[in-house]
Amino acid sequence: MIVLDDVSYSYDGRTPALDGVSLRIPDGEFLCILGGNGSGKSTLAKHLNALLVPDAGTVLVDGIDTSDPEYVYDVRARVGYVFQNPDDQLVATLVADDVAFGPENLGLDPALIGERCEESLDEVGLTGFGRREAHALSGGQKQRVAIAGVLAMHPEVLVLDEASSMLDPRGRAGLMRVCRELHGQGMTVVMITHDMEEAALADRVAVLHRGRIALEGAPLDVLPRASELAHLNLAVPHACRLSLALAERGVAVGPEVDEGALVDRLAQMAAHPAAGAGTGAGEGAGARPDAVDLDPAVPRSQRDPGGAPAPGPRSDDGAPAPGCADPAAGDAPCLRFDHVSYSYERSVRERARRRRLPRRGRRAAWGSDPDAVWALHNVDLAVRPGELLGLAGHTGSGKSTLIQHMNGLVHPTMGRVAAFGADLAGRRAAADVKTRVGLVLQYPEHQLFAQTVSEDVAFGPRNLGLPADEVGARVRAALDRVGLSVDELGDRSPFTLSGGQQRRVALAGVLAMRPEVLVLDEPTAGLDPAAHRAMLDLVARLHAQGLTVIMASHDMDDLAELCDRVAVLNEGSVLRLGSPAEVFSDGEALRRVGLGLPSAQRIACALARRGVPVRTDALHDIDGLADELAPILKGGAR
Amino acid sequence: MSGAFSFGSYYPGSGPLYRLDPRTKLLGGIAFMVIALAARDFAALGVLAASVVALYLVSGVPAGRAARSVAPLLAIVAVVSVLNLFTGQGGAVLVRLGPLAISEGGVRLFAFTGLRTLLMMCAMSLVTLTTLTLDLTSAVERLLAPLGRFGFPAHEVGMMLGIALRFMPQLAAELQTTYRAQVSRGARAAAGPLGAVRMLSSVSVPLFASIFRHAETLSQAMDARCYHGEQGRTRMHPLRFGARDAVAAALLVALAVAVVLAGLLP
Repeated sequence: MIVLDDVSYSYDGRTPALDGVSLRIPDGEFLCILGGNGSGKSTLAKHLNALLVPDAGTVLVDGIDTSDPEYVYDVRARVGYVFQNPDDQLVATLVADDVAFGPENLGLDPALIGERCEESLDEVGLTGFGRREAHALSGGQKQRVAIAGVLAMHPEVLVLDEASSMLDPRGRAGLMRVCRELHGQGMTVVMITHDMEEAALADRVAVLHRGRIALEGAPLDVLPRASELAHLNLAVPHACRLSLALAERGVAVGPEVDEGALVDRLAQMAAHPAAGAGTGAGEGAGARPDAVDLDPAVPRSQRDPGGAPAPGPRSDDGAPAPGCADPAAGDAPCLRFDHVSYSYERSVRERARRRRLPRRGRRAAWGSDPDAVWALHNVDLAVRPGELLGLAGHTGSGKSTLIQHMNGLVHPTMGRVAAFGADLAGRRAAADVKTRVGLVLQYPEHQLFAQTVSEDVAFGPRNLGLPADEVGARVRAALDRVGLSVDELGDRSPFTLSGGQQRRVALAGVLAMRPEVLVLDEPTAGLDPAAHRAMLDLVARLHAQGLTVIMASHDMDDLAELCDRVAVLNEGSVLRLGSPAEVFSDGEALRRVGLGLPSAQRIACALARRGVPVRTDALHDIDGLADELAPILKGGAR
Repeated sequence: MSGAFSFGSYYPGSGPLYRLDPRTKLLGGIAFMVIALAARDFAALGVLAASVVALYLVSGVPAGRAARSVAPLLAIVAVVSVLNLFTGQGGAVLVRLGPLAISEGGVRLFAFTGLRTLLMMCAMSLVTLTTLTLDLTSAVERLLAPLGRFGFPAHEVGMMLGIALRFMPQLAAELQTTYRAQVSRGARAAAGPLGAVRMLSSVSVPLFASIFRHAETLSQAMDARCYHGEQGRTRMHPLRFGARDAVAAALLVALAVAVVLAGLLP
């Protein structure tokens, strides 16, 4: 049991990071602490295990005051803490040594440490990973190693400080599964997040804003409050958005935050339109088992066709969505990949040796395969001028490698990359393309370096050798395009800005080169819902201004919403390429490579499996799905 | 990515060499170097070469992997032996290049030092191939521990070495990313002195910022896991000399004797 009583804390003595927070966390609870960037949620989390002690107020962990220096290690042994960045918290080179670090600090007996080490690796699903090198694991695996390192200390409470925010969907799913299992075994879990889908799974949520608790209660009570959450830089979970959209259309579903529960409810409502008012009692009772019978039968028939998904749009010859594979259409591609393969292993012999390794040894259980021969394999791709092309794929699928080929940073081992008709293998073309194709890598704010924002943005234009007044004009224009003002921020150090602003500055630094093609590698990673939304709007605006945009993302909803075409990468090859409607029609194929569907599509498919007559061959968004569902649920369809 | 940088040449395995105490291996490697330096003729080197080959066979490290870990060190071998090629005197002069002369003695010394340095490199490389860098750092820490009595922070030094090694591949990857990002913004090292300075700061400032960021979180992460220095700390694998280490020491003594004896042979 953790009790926070009127806790205040300030980093600099002036602006409060926490301002009178009171919170009780009973044993065995799954609590989600939500909040936008800078809301004080990490500060709050660090008070739970005495990494920070309050300026005013008290924090009691099992009755121990965390500000008592004598008991600080008792508190920390009880409350385990997992940090956001998997790369920052692993101490040792080997997985087992890292897991053992905590118990070693507790001064446990060597034999017991060994036992606990194996036990906790089992618990996070990494049995047998003890002798692996930590830095070669995927992000999700590293986070689970970090959890194992905490579990080995046998804590009562597990605090996860945005532990999933840097992971891909597969890594997140694995992490959530581990947390749910631990919670099932009685562990108290405190999850700090701004991911609303994760929050929906908690027992209770507390929303922080400017160091105060703004909302608190069960997810069902808190998460549907769309307008309040928007004020707090948060959003509403997808399931909730649908139930709210339905309510707007006169279908009283009642708020629902959990997708599974919502699908259950809707399926039932569809089976008994108008809440069964019109049907006789006997008939209603008869219909019920019928609906239940239908339930297991439908998924099986869906599963049977396997590779060929039954009612996909491929068989549906209605209208091929605009922008689907038709190379003759439109102008010449501005970027073209011809049979591009890339291997980190330069020598042919080494590649051959790796290929000969026994198949069993070559497969990693999760994540990318460290022994994979090709980071890219035989990629054919043409980017058309003016389009917004999305790149999907889990970590290690080759997205980042592909992106770095686009402006000649990396040259293919085999095959050819051409930009605006020029082969990038040429030294001249590779230099020229850097001004025409702007590349924004992951976490671009980590590359800021100059004294002032203006200086940083000016770096690119100066490298082009432009005259000072032209540089100045470009800096102003570029900052303006990302929604920042040079007069306001130009003379500030980029390091004093918020994370979202820093990212915009980094983006402006690339835009100042006046590229024709903008390549963005996960531009929304780590942003809170409000900043995430703002970044998407910015990307859409830049695209509308005529830029060709290529955007890699883990968020299928973003890709479905923004992109003209989506390419799905898996193990270095293009698995699917087409309009979002085409690509997202095959949920099974995406699931196999560790990706999901956009939420509306996912719900539509789940409903279709339950026998609700919704189209699965068109791409839904939440409003469209609500439009289609409303008449069915009202009984108009019968 | 993983291919960009690989520090340490550890080859995962489980032979008898892997089970030796890292202190034994470290000291053994040093002892081998001393023995090699004491060798006076090719017969002694033959004994050493035979023992190196035998050790590699016992270790189970594949020849290709071993060769690749020694390859970067060959430059040192080449420099040392070529120096000797010219400084060694005695015997008939074979070639004369201006002031430089290569004599028979020089060729002999060239071959001798070359082979000796190569054997020493191979032996040390075997130590790093079969010992995790982490174990090596804890070996260093333990060997330095007696100095703790004079106020030398042996545990801290060991911890620092371990963390430095752990972060090396990561910082290398980050450096590469930053470099690529700045090159994408038109940075060129060959753009005159001013451009070069701009380029350098555009890469080094983010690197240092990142190091500080890592350091801050890592120290908190270590705090969170109750790290509080050496006091009251145990080890999952406490270093303990066993019978195996005694055998290894005995074998090393035998090797030293064999090298001396080989020198006495006619």
